[in-house]
Amino acid sequence: MPGSSSKSGGRGPSSSPLPHAVVPSSRPLRPSRYVPVSAAAFFLVGSTTLFFCFTCPWLSERFSVAIPIYNGIIFLFVLANFCMATFMDPGIFPRAEEDEDKEDDFRAPLYKTVEIRGIQVRMKWCSTCRFYRPPRCSHCSVCDNCVEDFDHHCPWVNNCIGRRNYRYFFLFLLSLTAHIMAVFGFGLLFILYHRQNIDRLHAIVTLAVMCVAGLFFIPVAGLTGFHIVLVARGRTTNEQVTGKFRGGVNPFTNGCWKNVSHVLCSSQAPRYLGRRKCAQSVSLQPPFLRPQLTEAQLAAKILDNGIQGDLHRSKSSLEMMESQSCDAEPPPPPKPELRYPGITRGNTEECSLLNKAPPTPTMYKYRPTYSPGKNHTALTHAYANQLSRGESVGSARDSSSSTSSLLQASQQPGFRSQPSLDRRETSSERVGGGGGGERREVGREGGGGGGGIPGYSLGGRSYPSFSDPTVLSAVASRSSSSTHTSAGTVHVSEATTTSASFKSLANQTPPPHHPSRNGSLSYDSLLAGGDEFDKAVGVSSVAPDVSGGRPCTPAAGGGYSSPFLSSQQREAEMQSQSTQSPHHHHRSSHHHHPFLHHSSSSTSSSPPPPPERERLLGEPHLPAAPAGQTSAPPPPHHHHHHHHHHHHSHHHHHHSSSSSSTSRPPRFAAPHAGPHHAYPYRTRSTDTPLGSSSTTHPPRSPHPPPLGKSLSYSSAAAAEMQYRLVRKASASAGANAAGVGGGGGGGMGGGGIQVPKDELMQMKSLSRINGGQPFSSTSTSSCSAPSSPCHPVNTSAPPRAACPSPALMLSPAHKPQGSGVKKVTGVGGTTYEISV
Amino acid sequence: MAETHSLQDMRQQAAITAKVFIQRDYSSGTMCQFQTKFPSELENRIDKQQFEETVRALNNMYAEAEKLGSQSYIEGCLACLTAYTVFLCMETHYEKVLKKIAKYIQEQNDKIYAPRGLLLTDPIERGLGTLYSDC
Repeated sequence: MPGSSSKSGGRGPSSSPLPHAVVPSSRPLRPSRYVPVSAAAFFLVGSTTLFFCFTCPWLSERFSVAIPIYNGIIFLFVLANFCMATFMDPGIFPRAEEDEDKEDDFRAPLYKTVEIRGIQVRMKWCSTCRFYRPPRCSHCSVCDNCVEDFDHHCPWVNNCIGRRNYRYFFLFLLSLTAHIMAVFGFGLLFILYHRQNIDRLHAIVTLAVMCVAGLFFIPVAGLTGFHIVLVARGRTTNEQVTGKFRGGVNPFTNGCWKNVSHVLCSSQAPRYLGRRKCAQSVSLQPPFLRPQLTEAQLAAKILDNGIQGDLHRSKSSLEMMESQSCDAEPPPPPKPELRYPGITRGNTEECSLLNKAPPTPTMYKYRPTYSPGKNHTALTHAYANQLSRGESVGSARDSSSSTSSLLQASQQPGFRSQPSLDRRETSSERVGGGGGGERREVGREGGGGGGGIPGYSLGGRSYPSFSDPTVLSAVASRSSSSTHTSAGTVHVSEATTTSASFKSLANQTPPPHHPSRNGSLSYDSLLAGGDEFDKAVGVSSVAPDVSGGRPCTPAAGGGYSSPFLSSQQREAEMQSQSTQSPHHHHRSSHHHHPFLHHSSSSTSSSPPPPPERERLLGEPHLPAAPAGQTSAPPPPHHHHHHHHHHHHSHHHHHHSSSSSSTSRPPRFAAPHAGPHHAYPYRTRSTDTPLGSSSTTHPPRSPHPPPLGKSLSYSSAAAAEMQYRLVRKASASAGANAAGVGGGGGGGMGGGGIQVPKDELMQMKSLSRINGGQPFSSTSTSSCSAPSSPCHPVNTSAPPRAACPSPALMLSPAHKPQGSGVKKVTGVGGTTYEISV
Repeated sequence: MAETHSLQDMRQQAAITAKVFIQRDYSSGTMCQFQTKFPSELENRIDKQQFEETVRALNNMYAEAEKLGSQSYIEGCLACLTAYTVFLCMETHYEKVLKKIAKYIQEQNDKIYAPRGLLLTDPIERGLGTLYSDC
């Protein structure tokens, strides 16, 4: 339907932006969303009615009256489950209150890890809903909601299938299969007995009903079988299709019998939206026990000008948060509790000042120290926030114009490399996530075009192929058709997301330097490998803090430092540790997880490298990305990638083989496979190749940044530039000359990543400097700083905007294995070596 | 506003609106459990044992709500047989337990937490994400 398709295209990248900016209640009406569900309802009710009217009377006379009764009961069951699946809230999480200080959203690390039955699970920050998605929760781009135990978005019921309505959906499938079989069977019986007068109206109608039933039987039965397997395995469609547990252990399964009984027999889960808040009548009457503030605490509070909030309060809440191993949701901004009217909350105007600083993601708010470029930071940050917001909202169109301005904005002196990376990374990740959501929608649109597809839209994206063999036969043919369309559409959005991610990167001003644990939480997690901390002796601000007792130190379930290191990772890190505490590695390494596959998969210059990164940022699953990405020498992390690429099993081989290749993407992560092992979801099998690859790496360069993904490079490009500025200020001349030479020469030829963005070029050049990765070197050559002996190897187009910044000056500062080299993970898992 | 407020006073008064979050404990899967780890922010405010007891009681109640017991099974069968119209009349087992939890929280607030200037909020209002107490 052209009309509906044009409307449905409204959600794609070409249409008006801001899918997330629109409040759900005011979302524009999209009639195309109702086409599948209307068709399903029409066919179901219409066919069954015809069956009852034309076929059943004769059947009940001829055989037994139980036939229509049986069919009637089943049909009623089908209808009931269909209605429940359609109209029931799948388990939508309410949006967390909007932070008054929007900057916080961009400071929080993108991922937090929790340990579930010994398996590290990663919780992603949802920029739309503003909390860390609980395990198994996913954001549906069609519905624009985070759904608990997200299974998929079913267009046939025009609803997400989640925790609350999965049972009804499953029973709908079962009963529909039974109903179709019954209708077809009894219709066949009717026809067999009416072969002589087949031209009668009744026979013709019965034949038509049989045709419809037969047509729908195959996809429905296939889908039913697929879900039976899922229920038995205790997986959701989302997890199955994205291959989360392929080769791994599913931490959410309780055994076949318990899984089945949980689906069918558990009590109806409560809904979270629209709950009536019962007013409570407890009144707090002062005076109540309150700890006496020490002089130091008071002084600290007073120093704070009130805008940042209560230092004591925030710090303690920060400690508390850090001590808790997982943050399902960041605490909302402190707002007066209206339920307890008796509580004296001080004067509202007094409280408002302090309330301005929401506790979360507050890690950054209350750093004792702040970088000298604070003023600039604030300005650029605010500016960046606006832009980033625009990005995350979905307007990822004109990257060039804003990019240049962003670059200028980001080129502020006095930025600390680490914080800026952190911010950029988070923001870019978020944007990536948002962009990924957009892309998913586009993919969905493309996928939805394929008719007869079982209608799996995972977060708005239809997954053409399922790794589960039981489904492949059923849906493979349909999937392939949808794949093409979705792949095409995906590319479109990927380009936009790339720019978006980069923009958010550029926008991010370096956060204040957080020497203490507070800072560590935010950017540590982003930092990959943790090597940077080892080597970051020079970074005085960071070093003491890092080595200091961070609250997020693994300790007892603290933060996410310890839990997510796999054993191998820990060993690697321990070995490579120099001065810094291992925690840094941990923290940074875990952030590698999301990006590992990114970098691995797109070391080569695949056309849409951004989509890869976006996808990875968005979800830990990889769509049917362009296969070309894996063709180029992939970095060692590819094997991570292949776990996500369940569609492209062949990628696995690429990755495995390439992992040991000498040409490594410029990954600034430590040579030890610390970051590579980072992703705990993936089983040990993937870790091993990483380990091997990592072992080969050290001789090459200290920190071969495995920036496989050009997209990650682009996102890190802005960070790079900022770092370069810092380097420039404090750079030691020619420090990395040796490293640069080695890296540049080695890595130039490989990869040949065709990066659409200038920033990517810059990133590549920088990474080349650092560790020599297969990057196009034109950017390096053109922008080579005086002190950095960049080696222009490739001949890609010179970067447009990259050169203006004194970017490559950083390169010389990077020491291959210097005492003063610190590794920081940028966006997309890029690790930068920053010499201090 | 011509009046001036001492920053110290403001801070002390405003500290009441601080929130302490007790996060979910996902170590046993997606079951609704909260971490019993005593947050350091409440160090001086409340007895550690009492707090842990409260959280443990809440965890037990949530476990009961999600239990696959005979009641939930019967409820499911009944719902199937009546084409789910029984949900219009009857309250589900989970909802019943949630009410129990709300009552328990209120009772704890009245008895233990309010006198110390703390307030526990029902996690269901936050999507069972965090249990937080207002300092």
